[in-house]
Amino acid sequence: MSGVNSTAAAAATPVAPSVPRQPGTLKRLLREPVAAISLVLAVLLVLAAVLAPLLAPTDPFDNNLSTAMAVPGTPGLPLGADGQGRDMITRMLYGLRATLVMGAASVLLGGAAGALVGFAAAFYRRLDGLLMRVMDVLLSFPAILFGLAIAAIFGPGIPAVILALSIATVPLMARIVRGSALVVMRQDYIEAARATGMSDARLILRHVAPNCLSPMFVFATLRFGQVILLGSALSFLGLGAQPPVAELGAMAAEGRTFLFFAPHVAVLPCVLIFVVVLTFNLLGDALRDALDPRLRV
Amino acid sequence: MAEDLLRVEGLRTVFRNSSGLIRAVDGIDLSVPRGRTLGIVGESGCGKSMLSLSIMRLVPAPGRITEGRVLLEGRDLLKLSTAEMRQVRGGQIAMIFQEPMTSLNPVHSVGRQITEAMRVHSPKESAGALKEQAIAALKRVRIPSPERRFDEYPHQLSGGMRQRVMIAMALACRPRLLIADEPTTALDVTVQAQILDLLRELQEETGMSIILITHDLGVVAEMADEVAVLYAGKVAERAPARALFEDPQHPYTLGLLGSVPRLDEERDRLLAIEGAVPPPFAFPEGCRFHPRCPFAIGPCREGQPPLREIAPGHHAACIRAPVEASLALEDAA
Repeated sequence: MSGVNSTAAAAATPVAPSVPRQPGTLKRLLREPVAAISLVLAVLLVLAAVLAPLLAPTDPFDNNLSTAMAVPGTPGLPLGADGQGRDMITRMLYGLRATLVMGAASVLLGGAAGALVGFAAAFYRRLDGLLMRVMDVLLSFPAILFGLAIAAIFGPGIPAVILALSIATVPLMARIVRGSALVVMRQDYIEAARATGMSDARLILRHVAPNCLSPMFVFATLRFGQVILLGSALSFLGLGAQPPVAELGAMAAEGRTFLFFAPHVAVLPCVLIFVVVLTFNLLGDALRDALDPRLRV
Repeated sequence: MAEDLLRVEGLRTVFRNSSGLIRAVDGIDLSVPRGRTLGIVGESGCGKSMLSLSIMRLVPAPGRITEGRVLLEGRDLLKLSTAEMRQVRGGQIAMIFQEPMTSLNPVHSVGRQITEAMRVHSPKESAGALKEQAIAALKRVRIPSPERRFDEYPHQLSGGMRQRVMIAMALACRPRLLIADEPTTALDVTVQAQILDLLRELQEETGMSIILITHDLGVVAEMADEVAVLYAGKVAERAPARALFEDPQHPYTLGLLGSVPRLDEERDRLLAIEGAVPPPFAFPEGCRFHPRCPFAIGPCREGQPPLREIAPGHHAACIRAPVEASLALEDAA
């Protein structure tokens, strides 16, 4: 888990006010080949997931025992079929869809809650100690443990995974937001805004939050990759998506049974997970570089 | 004498930290007449900025206002609720700051920041009306092509332009009092003059009062009707501007005036006041200025001299006042 902490720390490094939407950010991003490739790949992955019902040649639940474990390259089945004879292309498209939704939902929910906590801690210094200690406690539990506990309470399934991963994301986002909000709140324009009689809520929303967006954005992108890996792991352990639902981690778990006869059934979803995680990690790194005002030329 | 818009009585703002109690503002009395300008001068660390933040009730934690009254048209601001105080900020008292380069939020366009400030005080106004008023406000501070500037971002403006925007923002809701905290310190000299002219013109147009905080005596001479000299959290001398410059009564004022280069007098060297403002947790016994004072005598060590009226409207907190100013200057030299 050391990766989580190092990326969180990097995203939280002092945020001189910067603007995610400032003209030129996209251009700076595309100047780096790795960044450009990761951006294109991310867009393709998301498109594939969104358009899965249109792109998939068959129904994801169409089993056909006559093609069970068909190897890739079989006529009509370019990537083969799984143990129940379901088309691997279809299964992977739907699996990607479930995985991305899981990741996005966790990052959005956990990130939003974390941001609220972070802003509250930075703004109301009396709450700071209490809130941050609670976050520290949350931080001390591995995400897998949350998954186990929540699956035990509510039963396994994608919602349980989303809940677990959201909770695991809250303290990380809270720390990043608190850190950058503290820096922003020392700026003169915050005092100037206070002097116009602005309420606290408005001050946070209009003046503090927009200046914290870039580290939040970078962290969310990096966290997305991590969350997908964790979510797939939970599904692989049987705590997430339940058969016959297609989800990349669950597909890998199912395919494990025939690893010796038909390795593609387990390997292909794993390769896709790898591509997704790598893509979003690279994209997050690239965004951080592009949004870092100190690196601006 | 015009009626007072703002009266500050016995205001005391303290910070408590590990090294003890820090008295940043220590029993200050002031008044600002309607439509007039009060200059507040003093060295760094004498409590000028803390005084203005205290009036706005924006003293940063762990600072606290412990005593005194701040009466705006007879209403004690220190007794208002937070919500009422928010209405006063920006509505009746506005503030502009020293650093125009950092006092505007870089992520919002200039127009957005002005309309935002106006929306606080007139929440029901339509966006179109606010935009019109904001453009009018930009025009009022003599910004050329205000319609175009409205959509520009702070980084596209020069320092002088930004200070104009700050002034437009501060004056958008027609406040009765403008607190200008070193409004020209960060600007270059020609722009300084323009901004001061602008403030004076706006004062004539709107009839607002101004508290001008500065360490630049030239600016005070230019702008202020009355001047208060602050030293170590207390008022050392308070007088009409002309009287203060022609007949300074407190040795500290004398020192400040002596340290300004002049074209109309021959001086071999500028006078400097020995030492520095004592840190607020280590104020000396007796008169706080006596360790640096060339005129200090025995009794100066014994008690804080009260602010006394030496001539009509002219107050000084020195037991040796009134002194012959010209003599004193020669003595000091």
